[in-house]
Amino acid sequence: MAKITESTRNEVREIVFAFFAEECEADKSQITDNTNIIKDLDGDSLMFLELIEIFKKKYNLDIELKTIGKYAVKHPVDTIGQLIEMQMLIIEHENRLLELDK
Amino acid sequence: MAEDTIAFVFPAFISDHRDDPSHGVLGFSKVFQAYLSRAADSVDKELLSFHPESNPMLQDELRNQYISYIYGCSCAGILMKSGVKPAMTAGYSMGIYASLYTAGSISFETGLLFIQKAYEAIRKVLPHGQYGMGGVIGLSEKDIRDIAGQHNLNLMIVNRNSDYSFTVAGNSFHINVFLLKAREEGALHARSLGVTVPYHTNLLSEAAIKLSETVYTAEVRAPEIPIISALSQNLIINAERARMEVVNNIHNPFNWLATQVQMFSSGIRLFTECGPSQALRKNSKFIPGAGKFVNWNTLIRDNVTT
Repeated sequence: MAKITESTRNEVREIVFAFFAEECEADKSQITDNTNIIKDLDGDSLMFLELIEIFKKKYNLDIELKTIGKYAVKHPVDTIGQLIEMQMLIIEHENRLLELDK
Repeated sequence: MAEDTIAFVFPAFISDHRDDPSHGVLGFSKVFQAYLSRAADSVDKELLSFHPESNPMLQDELRNQYISYIYGCSCAGILMKSGVKPAMTAGYSMGIYASLYTAGSISFETGLLFIQKAYEAIRKVLPHGQYGMGGVIGLSEKDIRDIAGQHNLNLMIVNRNSDYSFTVAGNSFHINVFLLKAREEGALHARSLGVTVPYHTNLLSEAAIKLSETVYTAEVRAPEIPIISALSQNLIINAERARMEVVNNIHNPFNWLATQVQMFSSGIRLFTECGPSQALRKNSKFIPGAGKFVNWNTLIRDNVTT
């Protein structure tokens, strides 16, 4: 289980904001934690998948996509803030993510 | 610009105009309207009323295919007129027709005829409303087969976009159950494709035989530009192979992942999607080392300025 530091948190935030600004051709300064990924940014599931792959590589994570998918069914992600929180949990718990619901 | 490394790839259907690269491309509308007019004269007069900003016509499966074909032919035509020549072409599913036209294997009207006759043949052999297709992202092929097996679902994997993106087809009830179970099993995306035909399945074998009657009497030439088969990843190098591809495409699965990888292996380094949406470009991000996609309107601008 990885320990989430303030530095990790800031890094994840920076990656997520930069990713959506580029992918959605949005002004990064206009993206906030409350920005709705689909309604405000026109985001889609392929972007979500791409972001997961970025974090898997960056933090060398051992997690199956379907584990994230199962977790997302119970904890839907609508906003940038929710997405960042989920990424933190993925980095911290990896394939044990679903144990959080037990 | 390294022309010898560019491939034109053609999508199957139009689902999204939001990112349409044609906006602002000088002359596109005129070319598109000219093709639309020829298509109206050839297969369906109603096509003349199509407008990209208001497009209820895209809900109709057959007309959507016509429009997608017309768009692809227009886009490729404008690119080639501006000096951008593809080293290779490929069609994603029903994108094969625009691929063949662009490669000089068939006339524009023959492409329309094939689309029309394929759809008519399918409708003769399959009842309307009992079949469908779905797209799944986030599960492996094994996951998909496991779900289908556990729930006795009669469906087929008809395309692999990447290691975690697949297209399935079959009985619509089974497809809907599958999509529900796929979401429960952790698919990040599992949705119906909104079509009523199980393209690329053996359910269409009889339709393929009917279609072959048209295909083998129509004028088909050897492609002037290499076409790669999305079914076999082999090059379509003569008229006979082109005919076989049109017929086999209806009732056989394809593999877009392998197709794009094969194009890259053949030296293709740049891809452009000759359609209004960016589905193939987005998908390519999940194909490691498979080259770079650029919007076709950018290619025109680059070519004009260099």
